[in-house]
Amino acid sequence: MSLDNMRDLYQQVILERYKKPRNKGKTDPADRYQKGHNPSCGDTIELTLKINGDRIEDVKFEGEGCAIAISSADLMAEALRGRTLTEAAEMVQRFQSMMKGEAEFPQEFRKLNAMRGVAQFPVRIKCANLSWHTLKAAIENSTPQPVGFVTNE
Amino acid sequence: MTLTQEKTLAARVRADFPILHQAIHGKPLVYLDNAASSQKPLAVLDALRHYYQNDNANVHRGVHTLSSRATDGYEGARDKVAAFVNAAHREEIIYTRNATEAINLVAYAWGMSTLQRGDEIILSVMEHHANLIPWQFVAQKTGAVLRFVELTGTQDFDLDHYRSLVSDKTKLVSVVHASNMLGCINPVEDIVAIAHQYGAKVLIDACQSVPHSVVDVQALDCDWLVASGHKMCAPTGIGFLYGKKELLRSMPPFMGGGEMIADVFFDQATYADIPHRFEAGTPAIGEAIALGAAVDYLMAIGMDKIHAYEQELTAYLFQQLNAISEVKIYGPQPDAGVTNRVGLAAFTTGAVHPHDLSTILDQAGIAIRAGHHCTQPLHRHLGAQSTARASVYFYNTREEIDTFITALKEAIEFFGGIFG
Ligand SMILES: Cc1ncc(COP(=O)(O)O)c(C=O)c1O
Repeated sequence: MSLDNMRDLYQQVILERYKKPRNKGKTDPADRYQKGHNPSCGDTIELTLKINGDRIEDVKFEGEGCAIAISSADLMAEALRGRTLTEAAEMVQRFQSMMKGEAEFPQEFRKLNAMRGVAQFPVRIKCANLSWHTLKAAIENSTPQPVGFVTNE
Repeated sequence: MTLTQEKTLAARVRADFPILHQAIHGKPLVYLDNAASSQKPLAVLDALRHYYQNDNANVHRGVHTLSSRATDGYEGARDKVAAFVNAAHREEIIYTRNATEAINLVAYAWGMSTLQRGDEIILSVMEHHANLIPWQFVAQKTGAVLRFVELTGTQDFDLDHYRSLVSDKTKLVSVVHASNMLGCINPVEDIVAIAHQYGAKVLIDACQSVPHSVVDVQALDCDWLVASGHKMCAPTGIGFLYGKKELLRSMPPFMGGGEMIADVFFDQATYADIPHRFEAGTPAIGEAIALGAAVDYLMAIGMDKIHAYEQELTAYLFQQLNAISEVKIYGPQPDAGVTNRVGLAAFTTGAVHPHDLSTILDQAGIAIRAGHHCTQPLHRHLGAQSTARASVYFYNTREEIDTFITALKEAIEFFGGIFG
């Protein structure tokens, strides 16, 4: 089997973050809290944000899922730290465009571009999008209570 | 075990399945997702085409030639299905869209009208959602209580636990014949006999047994049995419910409409006898006829031959999977003759998540299933978020299993390299 194609999808950073995510846990305090779930594959995520004014001070996640879902959540958490909620909402849009093969992130967020290869695997886009979709709900709901589950299936 | 028989069967039938002869991502397709849906032989595709090209018309309603051909084909297929599962009477076979609809039919027509607060329904923890959610509906509506049979240490159906659950309160036992996740074949004869001692009815979900072996509803003595055509070489959109004649006759209709009536007035109606009472509206005529063709096809090969061949293939699959130390298989290990399980293996590999594995294998042309296989409570029970599942049918070969195993090892290595 040729795994070349697979190396485009499963870039080193994706496999590393899947193995050792750096942003697992819950923020203290959890000013925003949102759960995401893709029922057909069973991937779950619980996202917490610590917010100061309109700035995201910290992001953590708990969850179970495939390498794409977990690494996407981990890279997202890292990229969000220090950003405003408005910037985060823009990043959600950009990420979703990237999943359609239509955009990339600029230099300062280049790590997120490791997820670009997922766009070539339509059935896996929902895995990469789950954490971003959950983030969107967390931005839109300004309470520490989750609004049930969100899903992008 | 003889290699010759195996080679003969798959070699003999593969030409019947045009879909198998294609490349996926440049590699020959290896289809190992048969527990989800089987492929269709030319005989079935031809029957479908022949019907629509020559005989298509509505059934039972016309006196013209096409209508009578369509009706003959549709009812003739019922005879075939009845013979296939050895039903005593042809009207004991009710066509449904699939097994799910067949279970819902029993749940709504019988469960909702018969069960009362405090009555008990026994299921097992390994039930497919199709044999769980309808009974949750019934329990919520009627106040009946669901009880669940646990697994033994080997992840088999725990017959002793089942015995301890059955009582005079038990009104229904609804269990899977062969689990689509654990692969175990459950002792349904015993399950039925014990339930009947207490006057309880028994429904058997035979989705994973009917396509692969001889299933005899009279020998099982079950009250209902359900299966889906698409897992046994027939098209989607057609399945069936078997029910004992008098029991079906005692059940009120499930859906109302044309076809299921005897005499209709503005304010009321009388209903047709079985099987048509439960077949409201224009049915899937072409699909039913194609199901008949699938039954003919399977019976021409012989269900005993299919079963024997799959036993060999399953033994080989397990032998190969067991040799990979990272692989953890759910359900019982096959016994010496592989009499205790069907040809599927749900497994995890530690480092590689089932979805990632499925994507990687797809690149090698190999189709497996990843997820909870509609048995989410069972996965939770076993502490697995999701599993990968390879499942064989009689057209699969040892060489295909070899291809799968090689790719699986490479995937484990690919992920393991990073993890090592
Ligand atoms: C054991 C079992 N029961 C029920 C079903 C439901 O079948 P269908 O979706 O065709 O109704 C399946 C198939 O997925 C199954 O494997």
